[in-house]
Amino acid sequence: MAFSRRSLLAGTAGLGALAAGGLSACGSRTSISSDPNELVIWYWDRSIDPALLSIAAKQIPGTQRHLRADIIGGSFDTKLRTSLAGNAYIPDLTNINSNVSLYFPNEDMFLDLDELGAQNYKHLYFDWKWELGVTPTNHFRFFPLDTGPTGFYYRQDVFDKAKIPSDPESVGAAMKTWDEFIELGQKLKRNVGSFMDITAGQLFGQYINASPQRYFDKAGKPLYMNQTSTIRDAWNMAVKAIKAGITGNQQVSTDQNAAWESGKTAGHIEAVWWAQILGDTAPDTKGKWRLAKQPVRAGNSGGSFICIPHTCKDPEAAFKFITWLNNPQNQAQAFNNIQLFPSAEDSFTLGTMKSNTGFFGDQDPLTFFLEAAKEVPTSFISTYEAQAAFFGTEITNVEAAGKNPDRAWDDAVAQTNKILRKRGVNV
Amino acid sequence: MSTTVETPPATTTRFGDPTKTSANARTRSMVGRIVTHVCIIIGVMFSIFPFYWLLVMSTQTTAQIFGYPPKLWFSTHLWENLNAVVHDVPLFQSLLNTFLVSLAVAVLVMFFDSLAAFAFGKYEFPGKNTLFVLLLATFLVPGSLSLVPSFVLMSWLGWTGSFAALIVPGAANAFGIFLLRQFAQTSIPNEMVESARVDGAGFFRTWWSIGVPMMRGGVAFLGIFTFITTWNDYVWPLIILVNPRRLTLQVALSQLNAIYSTNFGEVMAGAVISVVPLIGIFIIGSRHFIANIAAGAIKG
Amino acid sequence: MTVTNPAIPSARVADEPSTTERRPRNPFKRFWPQYVAVAPFYILFLVFGMFPLIFSIWLSFNDWDGMGQMKFVGLAQYRFLITDSRFWLAVGNTFLIWIMSTIPMLFLALVIAFLLHTNIRAKGFYRVAFFIPNVTSAVAMAIVFGSIFSNSFGIINSFLNWLHVSQVPWLSNPWGIKVVIAVMVIWRWTGYNSIIYLAGLQAVSTELYEAARVDGANNWHIFSRITIPMLRPVILFTVITSTVGGLSLFTEPQVLFGNTSNIGGPADGGLTIVLYQYYQAFNQFDFGYGAAIAWALFIIAVVFAIINWRLVSEREVDGQKVFKVSRKQRAANASAEPTEVAAK
Repeated sequence: MAFSRRSLLAGTAGLGALAAGGLSACGSRTSISSDPNELVIWYWDRSIDPALLSIAAKQIPGTQRHLRADIIGGSFDTKLRTSLAGNAYIPDLTNINSNVSLYFPNEDMFLDLDELGAQNYKHLYFDWKWELGVTPTNHFRFFPLDTGPTGFYYRQDVFDKAKIPSDPESVGAAMKTWDEFIELGQKLKRNVGSFMDITAGQLFGQYINASPQRYFDKAGKPLYMNQTSTIRDAWNMAVKAIKAGITGNQQVSTDQNAAWESGKTAGHIEAVWWAQILGDTAPDTKGKWRLAKQPVRAGNSGGSFICIPHTCKDPEAAFKFITWLNNPQNQAQAFNNIQLFPSAEDSFTLGTMKSNTGFFGDQDPLTFFLEAAKEVPTSFISTYEAQAAFFGTEITNVEAAGKNPDRAWDDAVAQTNKILRKRGVNV
Repeated sequence: MSTTVETPPATTTRFGDPTKTSANARTRSMVGRIVTHVCIIIGVMFSIFPFYWLLVMSTQTTAQIFGYPPKLWFSTHLWENLNAVVHDVPLFQSLLNTFLVSLAVAVLVMFFDSLAAFAFGKYEFPGKNTLFVLLLATFLVPGSLSLVPSFVLMSWLGWTGSFAALIVPGAANAFGIFLLRQFAQTSIPNEMVESARVDGAGFFRTWWSIGVPMMRGGVAFLGIFTFITTWNDYVWPLIILVNPRRLTLQVALSQLNAIYSTNFGEVMAGAVISVVPLIGIFIIGSRHFIANIAAGAIKG
Repeated sequence: MTVTNPAIPSARVADEPSTTERRPRNPFKRFWPQYVAVAPFYILFLVFGMFPLIFSIWLSFNDWDGMGQMKFVGLAQYRFLITDSRFWLAVGNTFLIWIMSTIPMLFLALVIAFLLHTNIRAKGFYRVAFFIPNVTSAVAMAIVFGSIFSNSFGIINSFLNWLHVSQVPWLSNPWGIKVVIAVMVIWRWTGYNSIIYLAGLQAVSTELYEAARVDGANNWHIFSRITIPMLRPVILFTVITSTVGGLSLFTEPQVLFGNTSNIGGPADGGLTIVLYQYYQAFNQFDFGYGAAIAWALFIIAVVFAIINWRLVSEREVDGQKVFKVSRKQRAANASAEPTEVAAK
């Protein structure tokens, strides 16, 4: 009995000490780093050039501070939001992906960069990219990092085999409208059995990405129920593409990769960064791919932002880091090192950017995407777009499960409106 | 390997009944054995195949993984995939972290759960049934329920980013108590507990000298099982660990999923690294699964 | 719960309730070791389980995006839930996948346990081989299965092609998706369950079998009248854990379809309850609704646990009555019984 009591006492004492330790540690720090000269940034792999980070780790140019860069893996938004909500362990700077509009309802959590002099830098960046960082209340809080101008990637060898136009100029000329895109796709399908793109959902999304108008206006009013709207047009085009059989119904990424590799799917409308993925997953197709202008005009897909949470211990130094990181020279270097496509137009005129990798034969992807970047329309992405995902879901249902398109559209509208009403939006 | 610690089977069984010694029965038993082995080997092949496939993919480049037709045999890129993992994430530090955290949780769970299970399984005390029903009810609470509130709680405690947030909440669990209680009820004869009481042993002494040895198969199983689940735990560490020097393996490996491109060969190599130590530990510990749980039970 | 089998009055151990009457004292003074033994779990649960639980109840009556102000909305989240067709689709999917996985899984596990329990060689190796799936991380294995079942380059479809059978679009058909997820669950958990059954089998006293043989029972009788009844507590355990696990299925579909435009996969074929909850909380950042879904799941889980419990325990009594076993062995077995009887 003595043994068991002693061990019990020890155990209880241990638990008590543990509890006391926990309580004494109460009141956690808001900032991650206790070093007053250290700023902490959260980013994800390949979203900032490591070479630039290692310079800032010693000293952020023009300041007395240095930077600690923490790679945050998956669930980036969840981590950032829970940190901000719990008011604990908030970084001094953070990257945010192309979904910045998610943070608009709580925009006060991030500093207004105009108050730090952001207007002086506005002229350096593509207008449409800059505008994406402006909130509905007209505060500029999200600074441009990279961009994602889009184009039509296609397999020249497969197009040749199908006996349809195959050089970039004539492919672009043969599909100036979406109707022409579908007609070309039908020829491709008829002649060699290949698809123009993986899914109808992809076409639907890229149609919207290349349009000045999207789901909502700046006041949060839904536009998709109007007599004419981008969303309805994009929907009709996607339905037409499904009926024409020009998309491959490849819904899972592994299948998509295999389809591009084999040429079963011979095209894709996607942003500049996709070239990197393509190179990694299908290196054997090197030299067979070309880039053509997509129907109507180029759009933007992806591209991230950097911002300063309201708890930042030195906003001036943080802003100095942002403008240094994103000056044209450094953006050009980031492109060379990790293929982040610049948002600063001057990066291209420096002549330091290495462009042709040979993946697109003799075609220079850099020139192509620079032209595309200049075409991208200015648009507004609403915070409620996350609630409008039903349109993408339903177009997938039409393609994968053969759902009636009219019913699918009605369901998408009904479900979106239902969710919006739940969120307190008048529809 | 665990094959060296075979204990003779405690029971007569459907095949290979030793009491029947006629030639006919022996032949039947032979056939029975072969059928048994064939069935088991087919099962083992299904069981092992995806793991084999993982190993194969870890030796391939991303392009080979997505190639058609699928390549069934090993390629030569394992080393370069492993190097990529080591280069991209703090692999060895997070391996050590994961090992220590999993060990701590497993030891605490074995200790606290076996105590509670022994009390529940072999003793009567006022309020026992209410407490046990409560315990079962907590078992049904979906773990995903509390992700956000738990994060808020941890930031109040100042445990954000610390391993205490992984260890302390899991130090005792309903699952283990329920499991061990079943072991206690089926493998500890009441007579032994009773005679311990007559000999003047208190609860803790009885637990230590009778309960633990008699439940050891279950306790060992629970320890290994807890170690494995803690090792593989993903969502909670992902949320709570923010310090890159204090990551667990699963969280570190999740960083291999870059935002724009994923090197699948590298991801597979990382998965192999996260799996191999566990299999080692499982093989070392597997003799506890064999331990005859009823050994020492009152015979006659 | 404290139903004591009247046939075996000597079965209760140590501090039997009747002795309390002889020595009336403060129950805590008498039973403090037991209370101390069970306390750690309840203390930990109070702090790390109860608080988040209450918080999540509160959350389910609010509208909160995780960053801004909470807004009290009463039962609005639950009202919305009742009419949310996607939630009910997720409930249906979860049950289909649960049935498609649990029944084959437990059956296979029993078969494997019996095979392993026979006196065969290399038992240790087999056991390790069957348990390996449970050791691997679900995240990695979901990627592996995604590639095995891939529509265009997967090994299964290559095999079907080789057999000249038409290929199955596993990952874009709602039923194909369910099959793939069920196969992943079966693969991962069969070995685990068979190890538990095996432990249960080994715990069955040899004498029971011997007594039965003396009484002239054949193998089938022994199996159905002794082995299965003796395994009942263990079977109950596996059924309950499989139910809880099946109802909270999440990782497999999440990894399979996490990076597609639709979180549940094509036509939401792989949308499970927890995946939907995760989507609402961490993709839509509707924490209030996420909490309401979690509570709906909790209620479903409780109902199913009760149903399971009743099903398994009723058959227990039948099994016990039929076969004659000696008093002593029944006594040894009796301690496993009260739990089951209590549920009546």
